[in-house]
Amino acid sequence: MHQNLESMDGSWQVAGVTLASRMLLGTAHYPSLQVLSDAVGSSCTEIVTVGLRRLQPESGGGNHFWQKVQSLGCHVLPNTAGCHSANEAITLAHMAREIFGTPWIKLEVIGDDYTLQPDLIATLEAATQLTRDGFAVFAYTTDDLVMAQRLHGAGCAAVMPWAAPIGSGRGPMNPYALETMRRRMPDAVLVVDAGLGLPSHAAQVMEFGFDAVLLNTAVAQAGDPVRMARAFAQAVSAGRAAFESTPMPERSAAQASTPTVGMPFWHAQ
Amino acid sequence: MNPLEIHVNGEPVQTQAAHLQDLLLERGHALTSAFACAINNQFVPRVQWPQRALVQGDRVDVIAPITGG
Repeated sequence: MHQNLESMDGSWQVAGVTLASRMLLGTAHYPSLQVLSDAVGSSCTEIVTVGLRRLQPESGGGNHFWQKVQSLGCHVLPNTAGCHSANEAITLAHMAREIFGTPWIKLEVIGDDYTLQPDLIATLEAATQLTRDGFAVFAYTTDDLVMAQRLHGAGCAAVMPWAAPIGSGRGPMNPYALETMRRRMPDAVLVVDAGLGLPSHAAQVMEFGFDAVLLNTAVAQAGDPVRMARAFAQAVSAGRAAFESTPMPERSAAQASTPTVGMPFWHAQ
Repeated sequence: MNPLEIHVNGEPVQTQAAHLQDLLLERGHALTSAFACAINNQFVPRVQWPQRALVQGDRVDVIAPITGG
């Protein structure tokens, strides 16, 4: 059944790979590694994100987690979460490339600790350097159109605007900005990252024409993460199918669905 | 030889290790494990660990995979 669902909407490409699933999934905050593994399976996601932190040898050094991630069979997208400067993010990206053996990097440079809003100037600086260094940069940004254009122009593999602050689950705060970004950047790979809380939020941005969504907290902290992962996958698929089907235009006035020709006599007078 | 006073993952450490790889072994890291190193915020590729000399005051970071969004 899962295979059929994903095959209904076309594949897409990012950073040189072709993917069937349009849902990227984070690996944090799950009740257990088994639930994470089951959620990945039920979502059919093909990309999972991972983080990097200081190693504590007595804790086993993260190898158990890394072995589990490797067993998932997904592409790995390491992040630079927690970095507050371009230099920090660049250094961490190089460390990630060595550990994970991938040039993919989800670039996050935080500018404000309360909202986790990215520092867009530092993000652009780091993205520019990392693309020169051979990385495929997935750049986390806000819904600012011009910054998204700059990041795309810097060679980012994907530009990933937030819908709302990370982990807030509020859904698209500025649908107009997201919709406009999609229209103004038809050739860019655009992935909505952060702030989605419900499958309907994911469907909404997919209906705008975004290439994919990236989820974590909304799945991991659901009462049933495995079932929620599936629900999001279905919403992403439905939203994409709707976009590809060209939704009807909005109208300001009602228009009867039932034909008016041949109406019965009782309205004739 | 007097021990070097450095920082490892933010903690003050005294070490007799002359090179980064010696330090990692001294602290019990299995060199085949999934981790990477930086000194003074500069990435040190794995192939350079045996030759990378430590000096007084170095700030060494050893990082590994964790869950992340």
